[in-house]
Formats: sequence, structure tokens, C-alpha cells
Amino acid sequence: MCPAPVTAVGRSVPRREGADKVTGRARYTDDITVQGAWSGRTIRSTIARGAIRSITLDPAFDWSRVVVVTADDIPGDNVVQLIREDQPVLAPRGGEIKHKEEPILLLAASDRATLEEAATHVRIEYELANPVFEIGSATEVFSTVEITKGDVASVERTADLVVEREFRVGLQEQLYIEPQGAIALPEADGAFRVVGSLQCPYYVHRALKRALKLTDQQAIVVQAETGGGFGGKEEYPSIVAVHAALLARKAGRPVRLIYDRHEDLAATTKRHPGVIRHRTGVKKDGTLVFQDIEIVLDGGAYCTLTPVVLSRAAIHAAGAYSCPNVRIRARAVATNTPPNGAFRGFGAPQSLFAAELMVEHVAEQLGGGVSSVDLRRKWMLRLGDTTATGQVLTESVGSELVLDAALKAATTFQPSNIPTVRRGRGLSLVFHGSGFTGSGEKKLSGTIAMEALADGTFRILTASTEIGQGTKTIFCQLAADALGVPLERVTIAPQDTSLVPDSGPTVASRTAMIVGRLVQEAAAEIKQRLQRERPPLRVDKSYIQPDSIHWDEATYRGDAYPVYAWACTIADVDVDTTTGEVRVTDLVTAVDCGKALHPVMAEGQIEGGCLQAVGWATIEEIKMKDGGYQNDRLATYLIPTALDAPRIRTVLIENPYSRGPFGAKGIGELPMDGPAPAVIAAIHDATGVWLDEVPATPEKVLAALNGAQRREAAQS
Amino acid sequence: MLRLPTFRYLQPRSLREALAMKADAGPDGMFVAGGTDLYPNMKRRHQEPRVVISLMGIEELRRLDGWNVGTCVTLSALSSLPTFQRSQSAVAGAAQLVSTPLLRNMGTLGGNLCLDTRCNYYNQSYEWRKSIDFCMKKDGAICWVAPSSPRCWAVSSSDVAPVMVAIGAEYRLVGPQGERLVPAGRFYHNDGINYLTKQPDEILVDVRLPAPNGWDAVYHKLRRRGSFDFPVLGVAAWIQWNGKKVGEARIVLGGVASYPQEVAAAGAALEGAPLSDEAIAAAADAAYQPSKPMDNTDFDLSWRKQMTRVYVKRALEELRARH
Ligand SMILES: Cc1cc2nc3c(=O)[nH]c(=O)nc-3n(C[C@H](O)[C@H](O)[C@H](O)COP(=O)(O)OP(=O)(O)OC[C@H]3O[C@@H](n4cnc5c(N)ncnc54)[C@H](O)[C@@H]3O)c2cc1C
Ligand code: SF4
Repeated sequence: MCPAPVTAVGRSVPRREGADKVTGRARYTDDITVQGAWSGRTIRSTIARGAIRSITLDPAFDWSRVVVVTADDIPGDNVVQLIREDQPVLAPRGGEIKHKEEPILLLAASDRATLEEAATHVRIEYELANPVFEIGSATEVFSTVEITKGDVASVERTADLVVEREFRVGLQEQLYIEPQGAIALPEADGAFRVVGSLQCPYYVHRALKRALKLTDQQAIVVQAETGGGFGGKEEYPSIVAVHAALLARKAGRPVRLIYDRHEDLAATTKRHPGVIRHRTGVKKDGTLVFQDIEIVLDGGAYCTLTPVVLSRAAIHAAGAYSCPNVRIRARAVATNTPPNGAFRGFGAPQSLFAAELMVEHVAEQLGGGVSSVDLRRKWMLRLGDTTATGQVLTESVGSELVLDAALKAATTFQPSNIPTVRRGRGLSLVFHGSGFTGSGEKKLSGTIAMEALADGTFRILTASTEIGQGTKTIFCQLAADALGVPLERVTIAPQDTSLVPDSGPTVASRTAMIVGRLVQEAAAEIKQRLQRERPPLRVDKSYIQPDSIHWDEATYRGDAYPVYAWACTIADVDVDTTTGEVRVTDLVTAVDCGKALHPVMAEGQIEGGCLQAVGWATIEEIKMKDGGYQNDRLATYLIPTALDAPRIRTVLIENPYSRGPFGAKGIGELPMDGPAPAVIAAIHDATGVWLDEVPATPEKVLAALNGAQRREAAQS
Repeated sequence: MLRLPTFRYLQPRSLREALAMKADAGPDGMFVAGGTDLYPNMKRRHQEPRVVISLMGIEELRRLDGWNVGTCVTLSALSSLPTFQRSQSAVAGAAQLVSTPLLRNMGTLGGNLCLDTRCNYYNQSYEWRKSIDFCMKKDGAICWVAPSSPRCWAVSSSDVAPVMVAIGAEYRLVGPQGERLVPAGRFYHNDGINYLTKQPDEILVDVRLPAPNGWDAVYHKLRRRGSFDFPVLGVAAWIQWNGKKVGEARIVLGGVASYPQEVAAAGAALEGAPLSDEAIAAAADAAYQPSKPMDNTDFDLSWRKQMTRVYVKRALEELRARH
């Protein structure tokens, strides 16, 4: 018998794909060579709204060397399979153009020079229409959500103080390390194999089947090593893959379609910008009477995942607080800008930004020595409390734990000793639902399989992808411990839809918690069966919603998420009062993750998420021009560098969740929620001015400081 | 991915050989040093030389002889020399503020001083520029920043050049016609297209820095991040001290015009008196007036203009503090 194995869970074991990545052996999509493959490219609209009047291929050019695909070449339905059927794979002739950079035509050629040359010989003429760019002037609504708890109208007058504010949040680019890309290879029996940089193999699988009219077997999707996703590779890879496959189909040979950074920035989805209005009523002693919240998100030109983003935004809009009377009205509207889509946090960072700053505003207006931390203690959801959707929190509520831990971990505050620099500190308390919203997990019923092989090893089969966050490592850790075998005996099969079952998409902070639990259960079952049976063995496990979870989609009442992860973030900022520049110097974040399956990777997720949030809060600004992004290059879309990053300290708190694997909860998105409001609160602490919007660029901060100075001068 | 066009690459060992190669190549030939400006530009088809002549193998250009600096000395070397950190701190400091460590390891002093001017409508791929129609700096006729303007307003974005102008460095050029010495201030033109007075076939050989002699200088740089970014404003301030009083002073702005812009009135506002708060404010105001950034870099232009005052003040306060 083998010696008792060292447990893997809770230890920071080496990453599965780590050595390959750091030694350059890892093969990302563009690294994969395919014999005889042609290169493809997308011809996109240059207008924001209108109709295609004509597409002309210059007869002077020799088109025999090029494959051209238009909407007419789509064998299946001309839709990108997602929630709504509104987005075409390619804008059809005569069809409507709804945003800049909308795909119209695809080209492929054996070499790039020909391809580039061909692109210059395509002429598209448009009938122009009036575009809508502003949320305020949008008329088309993608979806609405209404959440009601208690009765705001009937208690409104009982509040001693009502505070009203409006908040604005800006676009943000995911800026994954590797741009979008896919290679499509025609195979026998009319099948297509698509290898690409993606988060959700089965989303791509469905999209291929639909547009190319393929059977389950004819569509094969394989994830290449993927350089980050952050939500940006949730829905968009379906478009890239379908385009590549359409070209491969017509060319009768493999086609690679790899975006360069400029195309990626210009054409792919961003975080939804929005406007959020709050009206909060309290008693003199700070008791929360009601919250009345209105959210408007800009979905861009097509629906993509917007309704689901809106739903998460709405459910998190009241913040991590318990209020008897809540009204949340949310809507997502259409504009003629490129579609917005999934991005880490999925609507929650937007609505939590407003909710957290609202606590600050109420505390400030209440006065009387009540701090915003006092208010948070008074208001926060605790065990047994009910959320805005009426969900009773029955376990693993970490609100107080994270608040105490962050306050304890924060260093003593030192004011700045530079005369023109003011230092301030801000705090936020957030929660984030782990897993799909409502009955999402139930409908999806994600599946994994595990095999015990004859050679004594075990293999996990899952469609959950590694996008840098650690899926491969963590799943093997979970399986090894549940099986009671050394980590080396567990392997993971490639994310290839012809091999692995549909475990659902790798999104929504669900992979470790929901899919990981299935891995753990399958491993436990295999272990048991091995006592009576001999390998090879295979166990399939699908998610079954526990009876205790109830959700009513129609009324938005019930258990919105199986459980929540919690975080408290304290940010210190230096504000240069002569320039308006904001520097986040220090960030402490305490996170209730249930169980840190791999502490180093958990901290990595949290630090990365926090920095992404700091970027959103301070420097990441997208400037729009005629419905397109003006700064659509890496030289102009700027994210924080190592020198701009604050010192980040993470405190991991293990407050186990009974149905998570070894108690773990999902924390992939949570770190995106807290830093932005903490930074804005810190700017206020430093300078006395409220910004109520992100990003807090130096131009805006300086204007606010000057405005405050003028007001003071006018008063004295 | 943007790709380089094909070109011939030559590696002369001497100045004379380099000049001969350039003469052979004619207008199709260009010099390159670290290539951190030229190669990205070639990928975007801003410059399209068929012959690229590397200066890095020429011993004379890599020499460091007292305060004479060969132009192929890298920015990393320049910023880390203890003698420079002590006695030419503005030069070392400006070099240190250029881009990232990787680029400073490759980028040279000469390349930095000859840096192409920059503009959001120009530093774009060929296709991008084509899609909005080319501007007059390359391939087109109009200026997208100031459509009615007859000239190009691309921005001088070198960090070291304003310092050289401020401290009064001299550049030694060698060309087919022989050698000449040019004051840094006369090396640049306020024109986004013809931004250098240097002839294309002249090589910038070395830079003669003034010996430390009762003068002091600083450089302050404004950009969005702590790394990578070009200056959206650079302020180089130089003072020749006369006891407690300012003997002579020069204030030079980078990132606001097509050349390092000396604001004579700002320097004049300081001369002959101690560096008082009032004098500093007057100089800052004098520098603010002519500072006319155009809307072709990062940040809002009115904010950038406002920052001129702040940065000039800061630079002068620093000089005062350490005098
Ligand atoms: C991402 C990025 C960020 C950057 N940030 C900054 C910044 O913050 N500040 C800044 O100042 N610069 C910046 N740069 C520009 C550049 O890297 C530096 O200016 C560098 O010093 C250029 O030197 P080089 O040797 O690489 O120049 P090269 O590319 O070799 O040459 C530049 C030009 O000068 C000419 N040239 C070079 N040497 C000579 C010579 N001896 N005689 C005659 N002509 C010559 C070349 O023909 C060419 O036209 C940045 C560049 C990049 C890509
Ligand atoms: S300033 Fe005008 S002409 Fe010059 S590069 Fe910019 S757009 Fe072109």
C-alpha cells in the first residue's frame, strides 16, 4: 500500500501549467502551427448606424487568390447564439449596421500580404442613419429588473433623513494578456475543429452548431492555452470561432483568425457603463428605513449577456446591508456603440460602487459623530438576515469577520508630509454571489466526469477552463484529497468538447465552488467504488440544485445565489491638490473565501482583481468619438503598471460554506467590487470633495477641488 | 501584429563608412541607434527606409569622455553613472524618466534627441491612418488636430532634449560636408514635420555638456503612469546662480510644441533677484501663457496647459531648495 498522502488542499502547490508558461513551452492559439492554414481577417463597418447599400469587390483585383465570406455564405442561422437572437454573425447586405466595427465581410488568403492587399479592395457603401450614443437618449430597452422588498412608498415619510445621489461608472476594457483568436480546421464528415483562446468551450460549440448548421459531433471546440479572459472571452470567442469556421468552410482548408491588439480593443466587448441613482431614508439614529435605487446600464448595440449582467447588478444594488424596504428598478438600454459584455464582476462592481458610496453620504449627512464604519456595522447583513430579494442568509456570512479583519490589518494612518499632497483613507464592505444567479445552475446542470485508469492514475474530464485563475491545479488538488492519493496521480483532460462533458461556462465565480464540488463528489464516489471494483471506472456527476434553494424568476424573490463571498477593503490615497492626480498607495483587503484551496493563487486572484479595480477607479478612461473608442491601442488605453500599483495586503478568512468543496466559495470576481468605492471615499477623506464617479481622472479631481474652493470663497 | 517591412541592414564600423553607406543609399537610407523609435515607426510605415544603417558599431559614438557624451550611449548607462547623477543630475534624471527599463537599455541618447514628433493621429498603424485619411505628416494633406492649419503640430516628446536646451549643451554633427557644432536650442524647429535642423545625412556624434560651474538644473515630467508613457509635459529649468541671486535662467517646455520650447520671458522673470515665491509665480505665469498644447496627446488639453504653471513652480522650488 502507498503511504498516507499529504493533503493537497490548502497548500500552495505548483501550478499545473505554470512551468510551461514560464519556460515558453505553453502553446497559445497564435503559437500553434497548422500545415496549409490560411490567414483570415474581418472587414468591419466604419459607421455607427445605417444600412449597407452595397458591397463592391474591386474588379481590378485578382480575387481568385482570396476567399470572401459574406452573410450569404452562412449555412445556418445568421445569429450569434446567445440570449437574444439580435446579433448577426455578419451584417447582411441591405441589413442594418448598429455600431462601429460591426463585422460585415470575412477574407482569407494564403499569405498576409495578399490578405492586406485584398482588404484595401473592398468597398462598402452605407445609407447613414442617426445614431444614439447617450444613455439618456436611448429608447430601446434590452431588459428590466425590478426587485421589491417591503414597501418603500408607505415608509418614505417615516424617515428623518433622505439622501439622494447619482453615480456614474465608465467603460472598461478587460485587457487580457492575449488577444482574441481562433483556428478553424475542416475535418471529415463535415466537422469543424476550432482551437482558440476562450473561456467557455460549450458556448462556442452552440454558436458553431447554430451558424454552420452542425450536429453535436460535427462541432469540436478545443481551448488552447489562454492568456487571460476576465469575462472578455466569455461570449466574444463565439464570434471569432464562427468567423474562422465560415472561412475554413469556404476555403476548404484551415484558417487562422487572430486579432491584433488594436482590433481587439476597437471591436470587442467592454464593461457596461451606467448611471445609478440612490435615495436612502434613515432615522436620526442611522436606522435604515428604505433604499430606492434606479440603475441604467448601457448595453451597446446588441444584447449579448446584458440581461444577466443587469440582473447581477440589480441583486447587488442594495449592498451588503439589511434593509426592510427596498425598491430596485434596473434597465439596460441599447446605444449605437460596440456591444458591452461580460467583465469580471458582471454588473456588481457598478451597483456596489454606488451602494458603498451611499453609506458614506448618509454617514456624512447624519453627522453627530456617526462614522460610515458605524453605519456599516449597524446595517450589514448578518446570519439570519434577509437580502433585498428576500433570501435568508443561513450560513457563511462573513460581513463582520472581514470588516474586523481589515480594520485590524490596516496600518496606522500617517498624513502626508508633502504640503501639496493630502492623504486619505476609504473603506468599503461588499458581498458577491458565487455561482450563477437564481436558477441558472439548475437549468445548466453542469457535468463533469472522472476516470480511474488501469495504470492507477485518475483523470478529470471537465469543460471548465484554465484562464490563469488556477482551475487545473485546484481541480487536481480537490480530486487528490477526495481520492486520498498523491497529487501526481491526478491528471486533467484537455478542454475539448469531443472529450469532456459540458460543465458550464468558466464564469460567475462558479468554477471552484460549483464545478469543484462536483469534482470532489465524483472523486469520493470513485474512491468508494474502488473498494469493490477494479479500474478502469468512470463516474459522471451533474449539478443538482439542493431543495433548500428557491428562486422565482418572475418576481425576483428568493435565493439569488447559493452563498456569498465577502470583502472589506481599505484604500489609502494621495491626492495632489495642485494637479488632481490620485495615487492609491496602500490597499488592505480582507476576504471571506470559505476555504483557501490554494492560498497563493487565491491571493493572486485578489491582488489582480484589486489592481484591475484600481485601474477602473483612477486611470482607465475610454474616450468615445462618433460611437467608437478613441484610445483603442495599448499606447493610449492605459492600465496601471507595477509602479502605479499600491501595496496590496490580503487577509484570507476561512468561513466555510457547507456545500462548497472543502468549504470554498467563489472569489474570482469579488475583488473587483470593493476598491473603487474605497478609493473614491479616500479621495473625499483627503480633500473633502465627492466625485461619485469613476474613473477619477486628474482633470475631474482638479475641477472638483477648484469648484469646492470657489464655493468656499463665495461663502466667506 | 504589425510587421516590419523588408530592408537591408548595414553595420558600419566607422563614421566615414557610415557616411559613405548613407551616400550610397540616398534618401532610402536611414540611421538607426537603439531602434526603439525607428522600428515601431517603420511598422506603422511612418518611415520606410530600404537601407537601415546601424550606428551602434561605431566606437566613437559610444565614448564617454568627461562631459562629452557619445550619442550611442544608452539611456540606462547615462542615468546610472554616479558622476552624472551628482553633477549632471538633470540629464541623468531625464534619461531615467524615459519609458521603461527595457527601452532604456536599448534606447540611446542620440535617438532620444532625434526622436520623431508624436501625435494621436500619427502614431497609428498604416490602416488606421488610411481609414480616417492620412494627415500631412505622412502620406496626406490635412492636419486632423487643426484642420485649417498649414502646418503639423505633432509634439516633441523627448525627455532629454528640453534639458539639453535648458543647460545649453552643444551637439557635434558630422556629415558629408564636414563637422559642425550646434547649440541644442538651434537643433530643433517648431514644425511637426521638419522638427530638426539636422540634414538627413548628418550624424549626431556627441553632446557636449557644460561643466558644472555654479549652475543647476532639474527636469519634471508629467504623464499618466509611473512608467512607459511619453511626457505630456516636461519642464526643464536651469539657473546660473550668482550667490543667492539668479544670474541667468532658462525654462524649457517639452510635450507642448513641436520642439523643446524655451520661454524666454519665464527665465527673464527670474534674473537678477533671489528665487522668491513671487519670482517663481511670475516665471510660472510667464511659462503658462505661451504654453499651447494641442489636442493630440493623452489628457485634456486645458488641464495640460494648467499643469505648466504647477510644474514650472515645482521645478523652481526644487532648485531653490537645494541651492
Ligand atoms: C513604448 C515606448 C515608450 C517610450 N517612452 C519614451 C519616453 O517616455 N520619453 C522619451 O523621450 N522617449 C520615449 N520613447 C522613445 C524612445 O524609446 C527613446 O526616445 C529612445 O531614446 C530613442 O533612442 P533609440 O536609440 O532607440 O532611437 P532610434 O529608434 O534608433 O532612432 C530614433 C531616430 O533618431 C535617429 N538617430 C538616432 N541616433 C542618431 C544619431 N546618432 N545621429 C543621427 N540620427 C540618429 C534615427 O535615424 C531615428 O530617426 C518611447 C518609446 C516606446 C516604444
Ligand atoms: S498634428 Fe496634424 S499633421 Fe501633425 S501628425 Fe497630428 S494630425 Fe498629422
